[in-house]
Amino acid sequence: MACHLVRRGSLGPCGLLVGLGLAGLVLATGAWAHEGHDHGAPATPQVTTLAPRAEAASADFELVAVLRDGTLTLHLDRFADNAPVDGATIEMDTPEGSQAAKPVAPGTYVVPAPFAARPGAHDLAFTITAGDTVDVLAGTLTVPAAAASSDTQTPAPAALAQFGGLPVGALAGLLIGFLAGALVMSRRRAAALLVLGTLGVALAGAPQGARAADTPKPPVRDAAQRLPDGSVILPKPSQRILGVRTIVTASASHVGVVELPGRVVPDANASGLVQTAVGGRLAPPQGGFKPLGTKVAAGEILAFVHPPIGASDLKDLEQQGYELDQQIAIVKRRYERLSAIQNAVTRREVEETEIELKGLQTRRANLERVQREPEALRAPVAGVIATSDAMAGQMADPNTVVFRIIDPDRLWVEALGFSPDVGRSGASGRLPDGRSVTLTFLGAGMSDRSQALPLQFSVTAGAEQLRAGQFLTVLAEAGAPRTGIAIPRTAVVRGANGQTIVYEHVTAERFMAREVKTEPLDAGRVLVVAGLPPGRRVVTEGAELIEQIR
Amino acid sequence: MISRHFLMAVLSLPLVALPAFAHEPGVGANGGVRVDAGHYHAELVADGTPAISLYLSDGADKPVAAEGFKASAIMIVDGKAQRFPLSPAGGNRLAGTAAVAIPRGVKGVVQISAPDGASAQAKY
Repeated sequence: MACHLVRRGSLGPCGLLVGLGLAGLVLATGAWAHEGHDHGAPATPQVTTLAPRAEAASADFELVAVLRDGTLTLHLDRFADNAPVDGATIEMDTPEGSQAAKPVAPGTYVVPAPFAARPGAHDLAFTITAGDTVDVLAGTLTVPAAAASSDTQTPAPAALAQFGGLPVGALAGLLIGFLAGALVMSRRRAAALLVLGTLGVALAGAPQGARAADTPKPPVRDAAQRLPDGSVILPKPSQRILGVRTIVTASASHVGVVELPGRVVPDANASGLVQTAVGGRLAPPQGGFKPLGTKVAAGEILAFVHPPIGASDLKDLEQQGYELDQQIAIVKRRYERLSAIQNAVTRREVEETEIELKGLQTRRANLERVQREPEALRAPVAGVIATSDAMAGQMADPNTVVFRIIDPDRLWVEALGFSPDVGRSGASGRLPDGRSVTLTFLGAGMSDRSQALPLQFSVTAGAEQLRAGQFLTVLAEAGAPRTGIAIPRTAVVRGANGQTIVYEHVTAERFMAREVKTEPLDAGRVLVVAGLPPGRRVVTEGAELIEQIR
Repeated sequence: MISRHFLMAVLSLPLVALPAFAHEPGVGANGGVRVDAGHYHAELVADGTPAISLYLSDGADKPVAAEGFKASAIMIVDGKAQRFPLSPAGGNRLAGTAAVAIPRGVKGVVQISAPDGASAQAKY
């Protein structure tokens, strides 16, 4: 009841608005052909900021013809998925004759339209030949009087300002405002509304021509916009830029799915650790330590460990060496002596001495080698180096993991579930960035971990760019089949109020938000169980961009 | 605040799209396919011969005299578009002959010009 409280001066525009609204209602209902059903092309909302346009659709094609500067630009797309149709032949038939359209860009064609200089409705038939598909589409181009006349009047800044230049409109507005104020104040609202409506219609009828000429010319570019009913007008050129694609919804039965938390782990048979057996100082192999991600072959040396020798051990060894040296010297002398008098001693004595000498020499040599020879660390499997803690000169304890080798093509996923039966018939994984992988069930553990059952899957497809340790959501098949409409996850967006919505492609350039209820289906798709009937076109690509249009 | 809501509703009405429910193609009085064409109903009778007939009636299915009407047909036959004119042939019938035989249930468009200059088209 805000209008009550305002004074007469501001009631003028108020009354004018009501009058206009009623006039608009009258005009809009006048567009209905007869008793409740609509004839001809699907009705589109008249948006004054768009250039005059005609829409036509068949089961194969969707065509939008936009009139600008006496030329019709035809945007031809496939009906089902909204992809531009390139290389088509389009012939346009008007009551004046037929003309062929000229391609200018993929899916965009132009045809001169001299007939459009005349305001009014023009029936257009488009004969389209694309590949072996031939179709004929019918559309109606309605040219308003303003667009047809090439006036140079500048557009008015605001809707109400259009009427500022019209003394008739302003006076009538003031008059209606005054009457409205007076009548409403007298609290006979029914009578007030009746009079208001009548005056509104009368006003709408009288200066129609003048107002039509005053309608702002359509801007150079058709802008996308959200209408008050929540639908979005997205002109075809914008749809092309946003890459809007759709699918036709179909209801089907899908197996049930449970979502489990999972983690990428290396395949136990295609990964390995490189550990030190004895503690020691790390040293690089020939060519240095290999950086992360290097491909290595099984058995390749990755590092050396030089076991350190303590001071006391060193003394012992030294002692041992001296002792051995001494013994060797004694035995050597004895052997030489015995060899010189071979006729006086038994042959056995000489041989025994020789053997003793050789044994002592071997022991001495080994003692030297123990001090010098490092342990080689070898790759246990072929793969790439996933982690590396090697640094030259670093002291490693026994059992230190120096390298971790993973075969990036062979990875497993470990998930935590609550039943050992889930995922046996199929599973997939969804990564936080939206990518998906195909999984195959390997086995389920028998002992609980974190009050859940560990399940192992192998990654059978999509292992590229996957890293061990990554978290992912495993969608494992389980339970009874459900009926619903499967749509890609990219089709579902969050509305400003938090609702889950999808955008339906209602007419060629109009998208309507539909509130839906979804359930997880697999990594790439969700199941719409409510809010969307089958046989509709739903935006699968570009939905987020449509959602942002205000 | 009822009046404000009413005002908003009334103002937004012309912007609301009208539901796009055209007639389902039905069978007309002459056994052909009847669809909407502007203010008229147009029934196309094709029987596998090159000759086709178009019967005009109004929204209430009352015949409309075809005198003064002109029409041109674009029919898709075997992947080719056939264009030919239709002329009044007595009563509410417009008749025309194509270069090839037009099968029953053909796809196409007929553009109709009324004597008053208004035009309409029927899509089959």
